[in-house]
Amino acid sequence: MSARLRRALVDAGGALVFPLIAIAISFVLGAFIVLATGNNPLTAYSALVRGAVGSPTAIGRTLLGATPLIFTGLAVAVAFRAGLFNIGGEGQLYIGAITAAWLGVTLASLGALSIPLVLLACVVTGFLWGAIPGVLKARFGAHEVITTIMLNYIGINLATYLALKPLRTEGLVPGTDAIDFAARIPFIGLGLGRANYGFLLALLAAVVAYLLLWRTRRGFQIRAVGLSPGAANYAGMGIGINTVLALAIGGAFAAVGGGVEVLGVYGKMTVPFVTNLGFNGIGVALLGRNHPAGVVLGALLFGGLASGAQEMQFSTDVPLQLTNVLLAVILLLVTATKLVELLLGKRARALAGARLEKGLGQ
Amino acid sequence: MTEERTRGGTAGVGAPVVLEMRGVTKTFGPVRANDGVSITLGRGEILGLLGENGAGKSTLMKILYGLYSPDEGEVIVDGERAEIKDPKDAVSRGIGMVHQHFTLIPALTVAENIVLGAEPRKGATLDLARAIRDTEELSERYGLRVNPRTRVADLSVGEQQRVEILKTLYRKARILVLDEPTAVLTPQETEDLFSVLKELVADGLSIILITHKLGELLGISDRITIIRDGKVVETVEAAGTDEGALARLMVGREVLLRVEKTEAKVGEARLSAEGLVVRSGAGAKAVDEIGLEVRGGEILGVAGVDGNGQTELAEALAGTRPAESGVVRLDGEDVTRVGANGRQERGLAYVPEDRGTKGLVQDFSLSENNALKTYDEAPFSKWGWIFPKAMRRRAAEALRAYDVRPPDPDARAGSLSGGNQQKAVLARELSGDPGVIIAAQPTRGVDVGAIEFIHRQLLEQRSQGKAILLISLELEEVRSLSDRIAVIYDGRIVGEVGPDATDEELGLLMAGRTGGEKGA
Repeated sequence: MSARLRRALVDAGGALVFPLIAIAISFVLGAFIVLATGNNPLTAYSALVRGAVGSPTAIGRTLLGATPLIFTGLAVAVAFRAGLFNIGGEGQLYIGAITAAWLGVTLASLGALSIPLVLLACVVTGFLWGAIPGVLKARFGAHEVITTIMLNYIGINLATYLALKPLRTEGLVPGTDAIDFAARIPFIGLGLGRANYGFLLALLAAVVAYLLLWRTRRGFQIRAVGLSPGAANYAGMGIGINTVLALAIGGAFAAVGGGVEVLGVYGKMTVPFVTNLGFNGIGVALLGRNHPAGVVLGALLFGGLASGAQEMQFSTDVPLQLTNVLLAVILLLVTATKLVELLLGKRARALAGARLEKGLGQ
Repeated sequence: MTEERTRGGTAGVGAPVVLEMRGVTKTFGPVRANDGVSITLGRGEILGLLGENGAGKSTLMKILYGLYSPDEGEVIVDGERAEIKDPKDAVSRGIGMVHQHFTLIPALTVAENIVLGAEPRKGATLDLARAIRDTEELSERYGLRVNPRTRVADLSVGEQQRVEILKTLYRKARILVLDEPTAVLTPQETEDLFSVLKELVADGLSIILITHKLGELLGISDRITIIRDGKVVETVEAAGTDEGALARLMVGREVLLRVEKTEAKVGEARLSAEGLVVRSGAGAKAVDEIGLEVRGGEILGVAGVDGNGQTELAEALAGTRPAESGVVRLDGEDVTRVGANGRQERGLAYVPEDRGTKGLVQDFSLSENNALKTYDEAPFSKWGWIFPKAMRRRAAEALRAYDVRPPDPDARAGSLSGGNQQKAVLARELSGDPGVIIAAQPTRGVDVGAIEFIHRQLLEQRSQGKAILLISLELEEVRSLSDRIAVIYDGRIVGEVGPDATDEELGLLMAGRTGGEKGA
C-alpha cells in the first residue's frame, strides 16, 4: 500500500519536473526582455507575484481567471485521453454561454434554484455540440482537428447572432438581458473580490473528470481507445462510440465553463464576449499533461500570470504582454521536450522519464 | 566427438579478419544492452549471432551500422579503427544491412529501388538504362534472380528480400548483416537464400546472420557467437555443436526443445467456420471461403507464410473483424453476428498475433490489462463504476500463476519483456477457463524459456478438452504442437496434413502448390 503511495508520489513529482523547469527557463528569458525594456526584472517579477497571490483581492482575481480555463482545459484533456485533439473549446464555450444567457433570464424567477438547471442545460447543449465532430469522425472519418476548428466559427457566430438578434436586450449595449442577481452564482466573499463559487464548480468538474476517466467503465474504454485503438477493438470496445462520447463530454465541460462565466461573472452575454478562453484551454491541458489535477494547476498558472500582469503593468512600465511571452515559452518548452533535452542535457529528461511521452506523445 | 570451442571470439578465424568489434558496451538507462561484447568476422565466413530476444544482438548490429553509438569499445574494419557515426559511414566502409522489415518503395521498380540514393546519372537525370544493366549484372553474378523492371509491389516476399540484398551489394558491401532473414520465408525460399549466401561468401564476402532458429544456423554458419544478457557467452564452431548445446548456452539452462505430447482425446466440434470470406483493411479478399473445424481436445495448426490471410482469419473467428460472408460457430451456436465481447463471454479466448498493438494496452498497468475484456463484469464493475482494487487483486493472482515477471499489477505492460508480456496475455485469456482458444503466433518474439512455458500451457489446455486453433509462422511450432495441420495460402486452406508431414510437403503447400498441380 505504502509502496503504491510512494509510486504515485514519484509519478506526480516526475510529471511536475518538466513544467517547473519550463517555468523557470521562461522566467529567466523573460528577465532579459524586462531588462531590454529598461526595467528591473526583480521589481517586475515581485509586482507580478504580488498581483497574482499578494493579497486576497489578487488571489480572487487569479481564481476568477483560472475558473473558465479549468473547464476548457478539461474539455481538451478528456478528448485527448481518447486520443483526440479537441480544438473546439472556444465554440463549445460560446454555446454554453448563450444557453446560460437565455435560460438564466428565462428561469430567473426560480432564483438560486435556476443555477443548477441552467448549468445542466449547458451540459446538454455542450454535449450535443461536442458530439458533432465525434459523429463526423466516427461515421465519415473527418479529422476532428479540422471539424472542431470549423465548428468554432459556427458556434461563435451562432451565439453572437442569437445575442444580437432574437435575444437582444433593449438599450444601447449590444447583448442579452442581464440575469437577475438572485439567479447568478454568488461571490465567495472573504475579501476575494469578484471571485465566485464557479471556481469550486470548476474543481468539482475536475474531480468528475477524474472519476469518469479512472473509475468508470466508460472512462476505462475511453482511455483504452486513446492509448491503443487496436487493443480496444481486440477487447470488443467500440472505437466509434467512444470517439463520439469523449468529444461530447469534452464539449459539455467547455459549455459549462461558458455558463459559469455568464452566471458568475458577466450576468449576460455581451457582444463582443470574452475571447480565447477555449484556445487557452489547449495550453492549460498541455501544461497539465491532460490530467485533471494538472489542468487545475495549469489553469491557476494562467490565471495567476494574467492577474499578476495587471499589477506589473501598473507599478512598472513592463507591458502586460510579457506574460504572454512567458506562457508561450513555457508551452514551447513543455511541448518541445527534445529542446529541453538539448538545453539541460539528458538528465532532466531522465528525471521526467517516460511520463512525458505518455502525456504528449502519439 | 570433440567440441572445439573458442572463447571470446578472438581465435578460430582461419581467414584474415575483416571485422572486429572489441569490448562494445551500450547502456540504455539502467539496462546494459551490450556489456563488453567482442566479435570477429573472417573473410568469406558466415558468423551466426544467436541469442534470445533482448539479449543484445540487434543493439550490437545497430552499433555496427551506425544507428547507435557505443558507450565504450571500438569497431575495426579491415584492420583499421572505424568511426561509424551513421549508416552512411557504415556503407562507405562496405557494411550492408538487410533489416527484418524491408525498406523498399513498392511503387518503384526493382532497379529504381536498388540504385535509390546512389543513382547512376546521365547529366542531371537518372541513367535508368545503366541502373537496369547494373542490376542484371549483379543478380546474375550471385544467382539473385529478379527482374529489374518489375515493380516491387508485385514481388513475393522472398524476391523482395533478394532486392534488399542486391541493394547492399550495389553499394559494394563486403560485410553483410542479415537480421532474422528466414522469418518470412517458406522452407524452399530459405534453401534458395542459403545457397545465395554460400555463393556470396565464396566470392569473398563476409556475413553476419542473426537468428533464433537453431537448426538453420547449424546448417549454414561457420562459427556461432552466442549472446546472453548483453554478454558474449561463447563462440563455437558450428561443426562441433548441436541444437541442445546451443539452446543451453543461449538460455543458460537445460531446455526442452520438443514438448512431450500425450495422445489426443478428441471430442465434439467446438469452433467451426464455413465458407468464411473476410476482407483485409485494404479491401482485398484476405480470407477466401475458408472452412475449418476444431474439436475439443485437439490442436489444429494453421501453417503458412506470413500475409496469407492468417491475421484476418483469426480476427474474423474471434469477432474483432467482420466476416463478409460465411458462418462461424461456437459450440454449435451461430455466432457470426456476435461481437468479440459476446464470443468471449461464450468461452472464446484469443491470443492475438500482435501483443504490442492488440493484446495489450502498453501504457495500461498489468492489472488494467488483465481486466481488458472483463472490466465490465463483476467483481470489477457494478453500475458503470469500476473497482481498481478488485482488478489489482485478481491480476496479482493471475500474474503469479502464469509466472509473469515482475508479478506487479501496477507495472506498466510496456515495461515488460516480450516473453513476460505474452505470459500476461495468456494469463488473462486462459484464467477465465475458456472452451475454445485461438492462439495466433503465440510465441513470436518470445524468448526460449517463455516459449517452453507457453507450449506447455497450450498442451495443458488441450488435455483439459479445450479446442485450440494454433496459427503460426514457425513450422517447428505447428508441427510439434498440432494434431492436424491445415496449410493456408492466399486466403484458402490448400491442404491438411498430419504433424509428421515432411518439410517438403509442407513447403510445397505453403507455396500454394497443391498435390494435384505438383506434376503439371
